Amino acid sequence: MIGADRQIQTTRAPREVPPAPIVPVSVATTAMGGRLVVHLAATGEERCARHDAERALSRITRWADRLSRHLDTSELSTLNADPRAVLTVGPTLGIVLRAGLDAVDESGGLVDISMLDARLAAEGSADAPSPGAAPRDWSIALGPCRTAVVHRSPGVRFDLGGVAKGWLADRGLDLLSAWPSAVIDADGDLAVRCAPGQLWAVGLDDPRTDGATLAILHLSVPDGGQPVRWGVATSGTSVHRWRHGDRVHHHLIDPRTSAPAITDVVQATVVCGSALRAEVLAKTAVIAGSADGMARLERAGVQGAVILTEGGETLALPQTLALLAA
Amino acid sequence: MAPASVPGPAKPRPAVQRPNPTRLRFALGTGGIAALSALLTAIVAPPSATSPSSPVAIPVAQSTVTQQRPIQYVQLSAGEAPPPGATVIDAKAPKPITIVTTVPAPAQQPVVVRTTQSGTVVP
Repeated sequence: MIGADRQIQTTRAPREVPPAPIVPVSVATTAMGGRLVVHLAATGEERCARHDAERALSRITRWADRLSRHLDTSELSTLNADPRAVLTVGPTLGIVLRAGLDAVDESGGLVDISMLDARLAAEGSADAPSPGAAPRDWSIALGPCRTAVVHRSPGVRFDLGGVAKGWLADRGLDLLSAWPSAVIDADGDLAVRCAPGQLWAVGLDDPRTDGATLAILHLSVPDGGQPVRWGVATSGTSVHRWRHGDRVHHHLIDPRTSAPAITDVVQATVVCGSALRAEVLAKTAVIAGSADGMARLERAGVQGAVILTEGGETLALPQTLALLAA
Repeated sequence: MAPASVPGPAKPRPAVQRPNPTRLRFALGTGGIAALSALLTAIVAPPSATSPSSPVAIPVAQSTVTQQRPIQYVQLSAGEAPPPGATVIDAKAPKPITIVTTVPAPAQQPVVVRTTQSGTVVP
């Protein structure tokens, strides 16, 4: 636990009056078992914004349908059902699998997309794998015509989950480069771009109360600057939970044990340069626990981090104060 | 043939004046005891890089957050047991340097853009 023996005084420096938060044009659909939303700042251009948002959503949904384990027809499901150790995958799945390898490095091994069987066991739909029983070695190499070649140990199956959602948010925002202020919400993982002189208010969900807000971030750019991009992502143990007898399991698997992580963190939110990195770091903080997790986030140089602990404390790294709404 | 020489009676040697050993033995013994005591003290006493319970103030950019964190630790050698109630930190674990602050609850106002855990239904 953090904070038991600490005395902290916080003072805020006087700040300029921020601009009013953007009231966006929002278009939503569903993908990968969750919501997919485009928000655009489009005062006076609502019709054009709606058109562009729908086009972007259509493209993002097609990508998502290749990466979802919830669709039997997805390329990911095909890969997971194939017993071969070496096989070729398409460009989109190849890029996201490569992002999964980067996530292993970024998280010090705590975020591992090859934990599908442990995840299914936590849900109760499969037997729990024995820790370390079978190596989960795998790699990916470039193939012909933008494809990729996956090499894996027998039995390795993938759950792209948040890595895919973070990637979709970042890639989706690239599609909307004509809109200086835009947000892609991929089931809670946000890719945010803000134009100078504007402000996005981003609410951090409080998982203890429906519709409540734990904190509000103000992401803005001063007049005269260039548009800025952020990634904001939240991970936690309080939504995907299953009871098996007298035990409660959640969906965040600790690769060190191949079982749901034992942690004092209920939820972690991270602000950094991309939605993919924010997602990986938020999940890392939850699995690592509050003390180790905060230290890891600090070393990673994130722009902000807010953690809700089992004890009900809401903790943040100091640099987060500059982003919190007054 | 020359007659063989016959040694005459040996001359009495003068008695050698040796120093009194008692004083030197006493000085060496005292010095040895002092050296042994210093060695024992160095081996038994723990390193004192930081005196226990000394508060450490960590400066923070813009002086927005200050922290008083008492640091109490002992360095364990292999096979040593920690004192009762002590938290043992793995030498390979990240150093606990993180500063955190509590976040005040915000005004509950409607926010369009929300970050949530996956699977959360947003009203």
